[in-house]
Amino acid sequence: MADIPLTGYRALDLTSLYMGPFCTRMLADYGADVIKIEPVSGDPARDEGPFFHDENHPEKSGLFLHLNVNKRSMTTNIETAQGQNIIRELAKSSDIVVESFKPGYLENLGLGYEDLVKINPKIIVTSVTNFGQTGPYKNWEGTDLTLYAMGASMKTSGQEHKYPLKIAGRIASFQTGNLAATATALAIWNRELTGAPEHVDVSFFETWKGAIDRSTNDLVAYSYTNESSKRQWNPGMGIANGVFRCKDGYFHISAAGAIRFPRLMKMIGKGKDLIHPPWNNPNALNRPETLELFDSFFIPWMLEHTKTDLRNMCQEQGVLGAPINTIEDLLNDPHYIQRGYWQEIEHPETGSVKYPGFPFKLHATPNPERVRAPLLGEHTNDILQNELKYSNDEIQALQAQGVI
Amino acid sequence: MNSLPLDGIRVVAITNAWAGPYATQLLGDWGAEVIRIESIFRSTRYVARADESTLSRNRSQRIFSWPNMEPGERPFNRLARTNAHMRNKLAITLDMTKPEGIEIFHKLIKKSDVFIENNVPITMDKFGISWETLSQTNPALIMLRMPGYGLTGPYRDFRGLGSHMEAIAGHTLIRSYPDTEPGQQPDVFPADAAGGAAAVFATIMALMHRRKTGEGQLIEFATAENFMPLIGDFILDYTMNDRLWAQMGNTDRYMSPHNIYPCDGIDRWIAIACRNDKDWALLCNTMQRQDLIHDDRFNDSTNRYKNRDKLDTLITEWTKTKVDEKLMHELQAVGVPAGMLFDDQNSLEDPHLASRDFFQELTHAESGTHLYPGIQFKMQNTPNEIHRAPAMFGEHNEYVYKELLGYDDKEYARLEREGHIGNDFDPSVP
Repeated sequence: MADIPLTGYRALDLTSLYMGPFCTRMLADYGADVIKIEPVSGDPARDEGPFFHDENHPEKSGLFLHLNVNKRSMTTNIETAQGQNIIRELAKSSDIVVESFKPGYLENLGLGYEDLVKINPKIIVTSVTNFGQTGPYKNWEGTDLTLYAMGASMKTSGQEHKYPLKIAGRIASFQTGNLAATATALAIWNRELTGAPEHVDVSFFETWKGAIDRSTNDLVAYSYTNESSKRQWNPGMGIANGVFRCKDGYFHISAAGAIRFPRLMKMIGKGKDLIHPPWNNPNALNRPETLELFDSFFIPWMLEHTKTDLRNMCQEQGVLGAPINTIEDLLNDPHYIQRGYWQEIEHPETGSVKYPGFPFKLHATPNPERVRAPLLGEHTNDILQNELKYSNDEIQALQAQGVI
Repeated sequence: MNSLPLDGIRVVAITNAWAGPYATQLLGDWGAEVIRIESIFRSTRYVARADESTLSRNRSQRIFSWPNMEPGERPFNRLARTNAHMRNKLAITLDMTKPEGIEIFHKLIKKSDVFIENNVPITMDKFGISWETLSQTNPALIMLRMPGYGLTGPYRDFRGLGSHMEAIAGHTLIRSYPDTEPGQQPDVFPADAAGGAAAVFATIMALMHRRKTGEGQLIEFATAENFMPLIGDFILDYTMNDRLWAQMGNTDRYMSPHNIYPCDGIDRWIAIACRNDKDWALLCNTMQRQDLIHDDRFNDSTNRYKNRDKLDTLITEWTKTKVDEKLMHELQAVGVPAGMLFDDQNSLEDPHLASRDFFQELTHAESGTHLYPGIQFKMQNTPNEIHRAPAMFGEHNEYVYKELLGYDDKEYARLEREGHIGNDFDPSVP
């Protein structure tokens, strides 16, 4: 078996919280040696839950543990001259630096792209920020909610007469990190071919402004019509589309359109009605009175069937459908158990816990073994001593001065 | 300063809906020659004809939008939804249901580096397309398969869109309104966005491997599995604590206030989030309500979360007479995370996006000249521009069949007659 694709690549990770760590997690998943530089107080993600057994403890944050598998941790105060030296020395042996500071911050410390490229002419620096390296908002604050509100199609999410909805959790930030990993990979590939360094500028704002998740469709539609998209109940895919209550929960069905609607009618035993109006007329299908008529027999029919029955029937008939699961349903789903998706990872503070698995499988190379997220500063001494050749005395002095 | 990272990489694609087309959009943006295969017998452009139902339906949701709302003679070439992702790609037609179609497909595979498809596996089975067959044609090929559920397991051949994968993964439930049934919301497709982005990462990983070893490979990319890490914090809360989250609306577990608030005007809103007590104090100062900073109900994030309904009412009182954009600037000036909810017009007129040249003007033969959302991230030493307007149906048949595959005019005409090559859908396609 050959090496994993990023084996031999080193990524110096100067990020915290969500976006940057998700990016370097992808790099680590496919073989990169990720050295996570944490402030002496730790990545603030360590202070954010969910905590193991709800104990607020820097080694028990589920958020941190999830985002930082397969990385090494080193504490360094980069606002000190010695700390900056350590970063410069590590940058020399790194292929990639990922950072998520406000634009200009690293430049002020002498650690910006222009500085690093002088000491490592093939360096790739990926900056993952709220709004990018330039422009009037570049220093603005943001959270997953406020950035999603500005960047994404939040305004069209939800019901017309209610308020717009976000997409829960840290998904939008994680996706920014996901795209940053892709951007970084493109730069690595380019460097393989040309030897050229690169500064990659990824922002939450543009990640979502350019997202295929409705945004680009809506923006092109605006360009074409001068009309902004609006929030509307039932997103407009027509009849038999959306989430319906069923016998034991809720089920998402998408059966609108000339191909799928007849399949759904057959599935619910109404196949022979398809030759009669209004069912035989595609234009009539989207009229409110048809929708009402359809719901009058479809809703009771759904209530007689379980999620499992519906799923199987849908798949037999070629109708798109899926149960509305809880995370518990997901963890118990035989499909993912059979595929070996979940990964048990041991950690001294949490014992063995199940984590989401790899995002995809490369069939020519094995996935690396998943190693738990590092304890705060777990690898500081090892890296200083064995890789940067600091003496014990020097390390002790750095410790005493609060640099590490 | 002039080459793109993926110059010289040829990608063949049989993609549907969003995740696949987004992956190939990104590959095309960064230089790959993407050839999208379509068929005149099956629409992959959401609509082949414009009839009463497509014209009248849901105008405000922009499902079907054409320049000036005129579908024109070939509506599928003018549709915003398709043109939003067809830039930097080539489009050809080929009927894979005929044996010669499969032959032509293999000829193309022989000359390509990457094949991407996001179909239910059984569809590819029917065409005899698998890693076993394609690797015989081209052992250096990278085959990226993006079905919803993977190539093994009980759901292998289950059909689904991004929204179904989000349902299975437990996401639909948590993102809903807290006070209504979980389904009372439209589709949103973060699983597709996540899939397209990571699929490009996966492709580059396989290119790296091929560069080292010379060998191609199969990438199994189950889009639902790729999405699950994006709700990993919820998954760990369950696996560590047995905790399940119900519908969350716009609330957050660790921040309060954390909501959107109505502003002056119709459907105008601002999102405000306080990450900590410092943000809270800054917000109170801006509201000129210093008395609230140490109010027992709101003096730390736990209390603010507990009393969030009261808190939201107080903030709403303050925001509802304000202009969203002005308020956003006012709050950002003091460092409170705040953002107005953009509509499409706001985006097109936004000074930040303008300063970063995010939108780009393109001229399309059948749609005219318009601004389009541009490249999603910047590379300092590489061009960041859309270099090709959205590909029209069958636009690149001549190039691919004649130049690339070497068919002469006579053969080309025959393939046209036999339903492989065309610029319009068969009349049977809705």
